Amino acid sequence: MSDSHDLHLQELRRGTVVLACLQLLRTPGYGYGLLEDLERHGFATDANTLYPLLRRLEKQGFLTSEWNTEEARPRKFYRTSDEGERLADTLTTDWRALTGAITSLTTESPRAEES
Amino acid sequence: MNTELTERYLQAAIAGLPTSTQDDVRTELTALIMDATEDRTEQGVDPVEAERAVLTELGDPAILAAEYADRPLQLIGPRFYLTWKRLLILLLWIVPPVALVGVAISQALVGAPMGALIGESLGVALSTAVHVAFWVTVVFAALERTGAQTGVEWDVDQLPELQSSGTTRTDTIASVVLAGVFSAALIWDQLRGAVRLEGESLSLLNPELWPTWILALVALLVLEVALAVVVLIRGRWTGMLAALNTALAVAFISWALTLIGRGELINPEFIDLALHANGVDEPTVRIIAVILAVAVVASSMWDIVDGWLKARRDRRH
Repeated sequence: MSDSHDLHLQELRRGTVVLACLQLLRTPGYGYGLLEDLERHGFATDANTLYPLLRRLEKQGFLTSEWNTEEARPRKFYRTSDEGERLADTLTTDWRALTGAITSLTTESPRAEES
Repeated sequence: MNTELTERYLQAAIAGLPTSTQDDVRTELTALIMDATEDRTEQGVDPVEAERAVLTELGDPAILAAEYADRPLQLIGPRFYLTWKRLLILLLWIVPPVALVGVAISQALVGAPMGALIGESLGVALSTAVHVAFWVTVVFAALERTGAQTGVEWDVDQLPELQSSGTTRTDTIASVVLAGVFSAALIWDQLRGAVRLEGESLSLLNPELWPTWILALVALLVLEVALAVVVLIRGRWTGMLAALNTALAVAFISWALTLIGRGELINPEFIDLALHANGVDEPTVRIIAVILAVAVVASSMWDIVDGWLKARRDRRH
């Protein structure tokens, strides 16, 4: 695919990873596990994007974190905060509205020009 | 226990982070690298190969560190770029030429030879340009990192005029530089003498004009510059500005015509040495004076008309 093609695709997907993280982390999860979950759901992301993103969302108060030291290696578990859940709801609503809007571009009869 | 390669990667990735988050990020990244490496070895990849692949995928640790710290990966971003560029161009048009002229004058005053004068003033102009570019860029790079606002906001009034009526920045800069050079030349002429005849330094203009008449002319030049700056700030000529421009031009005409009429503009010694000594007789000197007067009046009249034309053109837009 051409570079500009990929670029547009990337632009469109930007932001969806945030929403996906907020939704998935309603049940606590750690970075690498989340990376695999995201991939399974079709939001392929690189670790070097996801890890700083999680930290940013935590700093903004949309995620909370906790160290789990019970297992062999200590892992940082993230969880969507109340504020994060509100953001996720808003983003989801907006995404649905967009889906409707995009569908209407092709299914609705073209705007009547004579009216 | 981390391998050496992983340890090196971690060191590089947390190096620039605030100490409070370093341990946190280190532990988190360690877990990531080990998890990912394990995944690959379970699929039958050689452990050393797997580790290399994982670290390669994570990419340059400096980029990762910048992402973690929310540091910009550019010197000057889109928020400041245009302001930086505009300011830099403006300063580069003004500061190095002024430095060049200043050094040239001071070199001439101390009687430096021509080669040294040219070399010295070009060198200073060049290093001034480098300094201006460097420090302006440093300031903007700092602004980019502190997130400060320049307070410069664009609004529609800044749109350039449709028909460039000469209210451009280049005009103002040219006016400032020319006035500077001309004032400097005037003062140099009076203090050192601009002409060198038969081994003697002579001023071109009558030395008796110093200081009153010469300083009056310098004052006119300063006012001319002030007018050009006002036009630049307003972005357009107005009737008021054209009237001021006319007043300045008339003042210049009367300055020049008075002195030419009295035969006091040019240094009489210079006329003796340069013209009379070369067989130019008195009527010819008078003709030269008339030509000079006509040139002064014609160029000033043009300046006046030009101002009014621009004012009228700007009123229409």
